[in-house]
Amino acid sequence: MSDVALEVRDIRTYIYSNQRCNKAVDGVSFTIHRGKTLCIVGESGCGKSVTASAIMQLLPALSRIESGSIIYHSDKGEVRIDQLPRNGAKMRAIRGSEIAMIFQDPMTALNPVYTIGFQIAETLMYHTKLRGRRIRERSVELLRRMGIPLPEQRAAEYPHNFSGGMRQRAMIAMAMACSPKILIADEPTTALDVTIQAQIFELMERLKSEHDTAIMLITHDMGVVAELADEVAVMYMGKIVEAGTVDEVLRRPRHPYTRALLRSIPVLGRGKNQDIQPIRGSTPDPYERPPGCQFAPRCDFATSECDVMPEEAMLSSSHRVMCWHHERLANGA
Amino acid sequence: MLTYIIRRILALIPMLLVISFLVYLGLELTPGDAVSYMIPPDVAGNLSAEDLNALREQLGLNKSFLERYGIWLFNVLQGNFGHSLEGGVPIKDIFLDRLPATLELSAVAIFFSTVFGCVLGTIGALKRGSATDSGLTVAGMLGVSIPEFFFGLVALSYFSLHLEWLPVGGRLLPGHDSYWDRIPHLVLPGLVLSLMMTAGVMRYSRAAMLDALGREYIRTARAKGLPEWRVNLMHGLRTALTPVIVLIGFRLPTLIGGSVIIEQIFQWPGVGNEFIAAVRGQDYPLVMMIALFSVLAMLLASLIIDILTALIDPRVRLE
Repeated sequence: MSDVALEVRDIRTYIYSNQRCNKAVDGVSFTIHRGKTLCIVGESGCGKSVTASAIMQLLPALSRIESGSIIYHSDKGEVRIDQLPRNGAKMRAIRGSEIAMIFQDPMTALNPVYTIGFQIAETLMYHTKLRGRRIRERSVELLRRMGIPLPEQRAAEYPHNFSGGMRQRAMIAMAMACSPKILIADEPTTALDVTIQAQIFELMERLKSEHDTAIMLITHDMGVVAELADEVAVMYMGKIVEAGTVDEVLRRPRHPYTRALLRSIPVLGRGKNQDIQPIRGSTPDPYERPPGCQFAPRCDFATSECDVMPEEAMLSSSHRVMCWHHERLANGA
Repeated sequence: MLTYIIRRILALIPMLLVISFLVYLGLELTPGDAVSYMIPPDVAGNLSAEDLNALREQLGLNKSFLERYGIWLFNVLQGNFGHSLEGGVPIKDIFLDRLPATLELSAVAIFFSTVFGCVLGTIGALKRGSATDSGLTVAGMLGVSIPEFFFGLVALSYFSLHLEWLPVGGRLLPGHDSYWDRIPHLVLPGLVLSLMMTAGVMRYSRAAMLDALGREYIRTARAKGLPEWRVNLMHGLRTALTPVIVLIGFRLPTLIGGSVIIEQIFQWPGVGNEFIAAVRGQDYPLVMMIALFSVLAMLLASLIIDILTALIDPRVRLE
């Protein structure tokens, strides 16, 4: 299994506030492969961003990885990320160089008082042996490769001189500066319009194939999943309720939540009379969770069994689902 | 950048004209005119109306208001600020005499309050919720809320009268004029003034720093694998500085105009002290000139703030 880039095994991440504890990520496992895209889908607050932050060890101060392991398969062997000190030298050496991250809103994710060139150069300064003029050349080169016109000139400009799409390109240039093994993209196009979104994804696809980068893409957009993902993990209230290859999850969803998600979005080409069903109810209060299956209160298939948390069922070597009733869904109920 | 600065300076000119006009108008509205101050009432009783009128004619006081404003403005532009009513000393001389003392005190206060305020505020923000932070916050609250005259008097009674370490006031004893002789005099007023300002700057920079540290680009900086000091100082503090500079900048004119209370307590021969004396003695020309001077200081300070913020924050230069 040399193509595995990152393995996450049963991690739990709790966030504490006002003496209460939000089990934001509650036993999540997945692997990311080189040159493949794993999409993590779910509603706001389902724990997908927290999972990403946990991998980068960028969790807020009042939260921690409670248990489980995050194993990064580097060229020099396995690294247990969850056991590294948060801002220690080893973790810093991984961040930005081996695992890089891009964020949802490029408007706020770039520092307004430094030039784009400087912000890219910072990464290079800490992770490569390049210095001075070579750093500047490399920054400009990165911008050019991200499809930014007039890169020499743009490198000397500030984020406010850039449009939203250009900023996200600059963010990606920053993230790709050291050719990371893993790129974590936390809803990278949510703040951008659709045309720009397509361009950004095209760019990410190209980088994936050129550098064999593993991409972990966090999104709530099923359309994006269909377009980009090799594998999908559907998260709900801190758990992965269903995971598998794109085909398995999108074509043969076996969890009621996945199915409900797919039914809640319009599909291009089916005309304006298609049946779009919103998921009824809303996500429960994370501090007052249902006892068993988290989705049960909103689920059409719920029975008394659902008061107990279901075990994960393996449907194939890749397809897994966490539901008592997955067989009923298989029979086209 | 240079054109920006030049434009800003040019924009000051009409503003100054308007303000000087208002100041002159204020002078005009005060009861009596120069003649009624120059000639004591008992003498004036013996003079005929013609004599007084001749004197007014001679001094140009019978000219129209606008005409006199023009002449006054022309004189002011040439550095002739008129005379104080008390003793007829040229106001220019009073300024030349008083200003260095005020500037000296202000420079000390600005320097120490900026340095300590920013450092302590940053420490407080970085160690939020710790005992250090709470201690600093309480100290800051005390510093902001205790009036400066109280601080001044306590410092005076303890260090000067009780311990007898430092002189009670003044800027220099007669016969001592070396630079080193000045320092003991400067310590207490400088300290009290700095303390008051440090508290404000500290509270402000702590808040600005906390705001900056909560921004997304801080997470980006961490995600790049930068060491903590760089994340906090280069990405956090740098952006937090803009509002702090504005705060310090707006303190500038009050300091240059003379910190009235501190100068009173420590008998500091500065502009503030002179201002009190001028108000008490109804020395209108002097009060007006000090007011005009304070306004000028205010305008210059806001110019300096604008230039500094433009230097620190590239977004400002847009206009």
